[in-house]
Amino acid sequence: MPIRLLPSGFWLLIPLMSNVKLTIDGNEIIAEKGLTILEVARRSRIPIPTLCYVPGTVGDPACEICVVEIANHAECGLRSQLKTEGLFRSCATLALDGMEVLTSSEAVIAHRQERLALISQKHFGDCKAPCNLTCPGQINVQGYIAHIAMGQYEEALRLIMERNPVPFSVGRVCPRFCETRCRRILVDEPVSINHLKRFVADWCMNHEIDLKIPKERPTGKRIAVIGGGPAGLTAAFFLTRKGHDVTIFEAAPQLGGALRYGFPEYKIPKEVLDYEINSILRMGINIRLSQRWGTDFTLQDLKDMGFDATFIGIGAGVDLPLDIPCTENEHVYAATSFLRMVNLGKRPDMGRRAAVIGGNNIAMEVARSLVRLGVDEVTVIYPRSRIEMPANQRNIKEAEKEGVQFLLMASPVSICGVPEKNFRLKLDLIRMKLGEPDKRGKRDVIPIPDSTNSLSVDTVVTSLGQRAVAEPVVKGGELEAQLALTPRGMIQANPRSSQTSVDGVFAGGDAASGPKSVIQAVVSARRAADNIHAYVMQQPKAPAESRFNFTRGRSFDDVSLRNFDGIGVQLREKVPERPPETAIQDFDEVKLGFTEKMALREADRCLSCGCTAFDRCDLKRLDIEYKVNINKTGMGTVPHYPIDKTHPAITVDRNKCIFCRRCERVCQYDALTVSAQSVDEYGRPVGLEITFGDNCVSCGKCVDNCSTGALNKRSRIVPIQSEKVRDIRTTCPYCGTGCQMILKVKGQTVMEVTADPEVGPNYGDLCVKGRFGHNFIHHPDRLKRPLIRRQKGMPLEPVKWDEALEFMAQSFARIRGEKGPDALAGLSSARCTTEENYAFQKFFRAGIGTNNVDHCARY
Amino acid sequence: MTNTINGIVDSDVMLVIGSNTTETHPIIGLRMLAAAKKGARLIVADPRRIMLCDRAELWLQQRPGTDSALINAMCHVILRDGLEDRKFIEERTENFAAFRESVADCTPQWAEKISNVPAGEIEKAARIFAQAERAGIYYTMGITQHTSGTDNVCALANLALITGNLGKAGAGLNPLRGQNNVQGASDMGCNPTFFPGYQRCDSPEARRKFAGIWGVELSDRPGLVATEMPDAILEGRLAGMWIMGENPVLSDPNSDHVRRALEKLEILVVQDIFLTETAELADVVLPAASFAEKEGTFTNTERRVQRVRRAVPPPGEARDDLSIINMVAARMLATGHGHSISMDPVFHTVPPLAPEIFAEITTCWPAMAGMSYERLEEGPLTWPCPTPDHPGTPILHVDGFPRGRALLSAITWQGPEELPDEEYPLVLTTGRVLYQYHTGTMTRRSRVLEDAAPGPYVEMNPDDARAAGVADGDEVRASSRRGSIVLPVRVTDRIQQGLVFIPFHYREAAANLLTNDALDPHCKIAEAKVCAVKIEKTVTEPAPLAL
Repeated sequence: MPIRLLPSGFWLLIPLMSNVKLTIDGNEIIAEKGLTILEVARRSRIPIPTLCYVPGTVGDPACEICVVEIANHAECGLRSQLKTEGLFRSCATLALDGMEVLTSSEAVIAHRQERLALISQKHFGDCKAPCNLTCPGQINVQGYIAHIAMGQYEEALRLIMERNPVPFSVGRVCPRFCETRCRRILVDEPVSINHLKRFVADWCMNHEIDLKIPKERPTGKRIAVIGGGPAGLTAAFFLTRKGHDVTIFEAAPQLGGALRYGFPEYKIPKEVLDYEINSILRMGINIRLSQRWGTDFTLQDLKDMGFDATFIGIGAGVDLPLDIPCTENEHVYAATSFLRMVNLGKRPDMGRRAAVIGGNNIAMEVARSLVRLGVDEVTVIYPRSRIEMPANQRNIKEAEKEGVQFLLMASPVSICGVPEKNFRLKLDLIRMKLGEPDKRGKRDVIPIPDSTNSLSVDTVVTSLGQRAVAEPVVKGGELEAQLALTPRGMIQANPRSSQTSVDGVFAGGDAASGPKSVIQAVVSARRAADNIHAYVMQQPKAPAESRFNFTRGRSFDDVSLRNFDGIGVQLREKVPERPPETAIQDFDEVKLGFTEKMALREADRCLSCGCTAFDRCDLKRLDIEYKVNINKTGMGTVPHYPIDKTHPAITVDRNKCIFCRRCERVCQYDALTVSAQSVDEYGRPVGLEITFGDNCVSCGKCVDNCSTGALNKRSRIVPIQSEKVRDIRTTCPYCGTGCQMILKVKGQTVMEVTADPEVGPNYGDLCVKGRFGHNFIHHPDRLKRPLIRRQKGMPLEPVKWDEALEFMAQSFARIRGEKGPDALAGLSSARCTTEENYAFQKFFRAGIGTNNVDHCARY
Repeated sequence: MTNTINGIVDSDVMLVIGSNTTETHPIIGLRMLAAAKKGARLIVADPRRIMLCDRAELWLQQRPGTDSALINAMCHVILRDGLEDRKFIEERTENFAAFRESVADCTPQWAEKISNVPAGEIEKAARIFAQAERAGIYYTMGITQHTSGTDNVCALANLALITGNLGKAGAGLNPLRGQNNVQGASDMGCNPTFFPGYQRCDSPEARRKFAGIWGVELSDRPGLVATEMPDAILEGRLAGMWIMGENPVLSDPNSDHVRRALEKLEILVVQDIFLTETAELADVVLPAASFAEKEGTFTNTERRVQRVRRAVPPPGEARDDLSIINMVAARMLATGHGHSISMDPVFHTVPPLAPEIFAEITTCWPAMAGMSYERLEEGPLTWPCPTPDHPGTPILHVDGFPRGRALLSAITWQGPEELPDEEYPLVLTTGRVLYQYHTGTMTRRSRVLEDAAPGPYVEMNPDDARAAGVADGDEVRASSRRGSIVLPVRVTDRIQQGLVFIPFHYREAAANLLTNDALDPHCKIAEAKVCAVKIEKTVTEPAPLAL
């Protein structure tokens, strides 16, 4: 081609015989005669989108996405076949001399939008699974479950850690938003997602797996993180991954914050927490313990120390007081200080009867801890009904199982009275009732006059909520004084930018949001880390992921039950747990976690709602690019076809097929037919059939060319989201053709193999071995340790490298000494690299002194 | 290959002999199919009706082990009818007279008797081939794994030479190499006679050169070839072996013999990615890296040097093969950089690393002297590539042959070493299937592949099946003088009468327990493609009657 893009952006024009000269978007281009506009544009690297183009073929029916406007079409003697005059399919229109082509005029864009909307109306599927969308952390739930199903526990954990660095804790205490939206509910019960997460975390801990999470190159920027709880650890983790130098300042003598001092040990065992924190610190994070902000240092001090930004993640650890008389009593505790005491291992006498005031999650942990401290009767007192308690219902049930009682629709009024004999406190209560609904329909509770009664107890613990900062102004220095707080005593931070009122100071987690779940703190801190990165690097923040999503139904009511035809009932695995009678005797963990077999069975229950073509779908990409609002213009709502899994390598979901027929046209074996009983006026199929002939050799080229997720590789069941795959270009390890392939690598797993249509000798072709024969890389049978047989007849046993090498070296040296170099021989390998083969024969020739070296060329 | 894969589509005629290309080299097979679609004429010579036969203009169904008779007869026809390229013969070959003499008696009728291919078809094949502007020859182990393997190749070379089909696009003599880097391993002197770059170890000049590069005196005694090693062990001449990335217990003919030999070694070190059948016999097993876990190069069948890049670290304590060699060398010889442990916390590599070794290779062999990792980053290079500005040589012998004129060799057809007899009435030939690869260590652990071709079978002609009293799907015992295996039978007319075929991938019915380890006298390749066997229905005890 005589066309070359120069750095200046001008076209180098070399006139040749039988050329045409035209302009595309104002660029003057000289091209070979006989090419289509699309081909000319591609060769000139001017992008024109298309859904059905396969070089050398013509789409039928055509997607009409590749339309362009030919400004002077009348002069060129052309008449448009499309409804807008002047628009032409660039794939089917030859480039002519003098043509003026516009690839993105208003008319072109409008036409593409209309076509995309029409095509999208018939596309039925979920881009992302509901669990994934519901998770506040937007964790690729389906993805890690798929890894578990394949036995890739390490990669499952790595995938979780892309977005959540505290999976051990979250896997034990998460409220499990995801499970409430699991589509499996429509079949039987939701997948036990959180226990699966915990399983992989624990598995990796028990197998001493080093996840080897990569870090970017050092940026030279220093970030201070105040608070070593879930938010602080999360921010530190993500900032360290970005290459920043992070220091955590923690007021307590140990890291962990609420995970250590809030959650009792029966929820998060300390050794698990220590492991979790260490695996984060291993990334290379500085820590300063027993450093209290405002007392030991100020924000100005941090600036003076050279920190480029500060993250405040101190949590919400200041209890709201119980506003009734006589609370100043040694037997009246506030929840967080009570839990801190328990978690420090102190076991003070709590008496026989205790009352817990409040109905939040922390109150449940307080109650359960009191039971474990030997209190016979623990009563939770809450002014509303049970269903209105802010605590997670699961936590309430667990407390109840352990004997905690509930006194509902009651509120404390005083602790001043004289208790019954042998009790330490008298708690006066008043019954409550629901008042009239307010403007929003919310009904407040009001006391029922003269309905007081009392309860004699030994201990009262109040859990009425927390704030981040006790005083109206943060103590410390000048910058602290400028730090704006919310009316509820949290640090004011813009929810988008995480910025506080002080420049360079960011906040997240409970400190900014008030008490929420651990995963929500993680999400908030992760966002803050992104913001801090953009701030210190003076870069715009990476654009948020599009919320564009095809769905098979937003609510359960919208989801057709036909989606689940043929799926049998298989109830969820029950996680083993200690019976409450024994569990309450100590602070050891109650839920014991899945065994491997249970995890595999549970992972198998996943319905894999989300699309595994998420990372390669052209329809989604173009819908987003052309701002097609499928929520308005419509998408498929019911499945018309069952999913076909009869092909050994390829899964077919015709519901996602847009009838572009690229698969059919790229198949070099003519082994694939896509047909429809009829097409509607827009070219969309009715009664679609995708059939593989007996001559199909499973090369998988059709899948790599599918414009949606209609065709999928059966073995590729992990949807690829968030962190991108790395493309490693390498050479196929099978026959001698030397096909060039692209290994798509995520974490440390080869997810799939594709090929570049521009690179020879294979130009995008691969055989079934090339595209599908890579499972062996991560096969559990791989040899992972050296083995030696100390004596003939003994079994092989694993040893360290040192011992294996010594054993080998001594044996070889002995034989060489006794029988000469020709008593040794080497067989090299046609499977190994050229360099390895060279080094191998050099070892025998130059090292041992023999030419006894050969390889398997004869087989 | 003298020529390129993508040049295949430019050919006018393709002669595919002893190569089931669509299964063993699927992408090359695709190029052949594309060429056929474009109008190239396809001649297939194969005892089995392989897929290519369905697209071929002419299918020569020779008996196994009769290839050179067939080729000689084609040459006979070409010379008889004056279809040869006289100019090419005169200018670029020698020994023509002796060659002409050698094929004078190789009439198509003579060859028909030997090969069972009708004389008329041999004539037709010769004419199609000779009259083409560009005719390419493609072959694999079907040609070479015979006691007459070298002769077969020479016969094909004669055919290419007398028709002037070397040194131009769309033609050539093209062995399709079976393994990803068999070319590179050969180039690098993993061969008992040759140093890297095919420089003979018994040549004082070559020894001086390599002694200079490696800094030690080198042995001038050619070593043992792989196929001679088992006997050398049993005779007590070999006491220790290091086998890197090979599984001879399954891949080598008469494999029981190989197993017995390996068991007798004082020390056997096997380096592999799985505990192969061979590794199970080892005294030391070294866990190695797969292709996805290392840096380096492979040289493909076109002599094209291409990069291999690391995608993931090796699992557990496994190490890349180069680092293992370096560790052993450092420990035994106190050479190299002296490290026996790794300084790399993630990949655990031990220097000298691949780029450094590659640089050393380029000093050893002029054909790769112009290559470097920097250049390979830009794209692959095909040797010979003698200088840094040389673009590489996709087509060999355009301007001449290394020895000046090419030698036409007089080949006398000799049959296989073992022929069927009364006791072993059938001929066994072995090969591959599309979905499996070699001894299956990799493919049998990849689900799609294993599901598609999960087990062994023996292909048998319907007439032979009837004679043996077996039906499709029956379990049979296949036996040769060397061993026996049990496997199901697949009755198909794709295979000729008198011949059976067994893929050699399966350890549960390892075809190489049966095959013959008789060697070609020149290159010491074993005759894996022909041996005599018998097929019997397995006797199953009748189930006791339920009372």
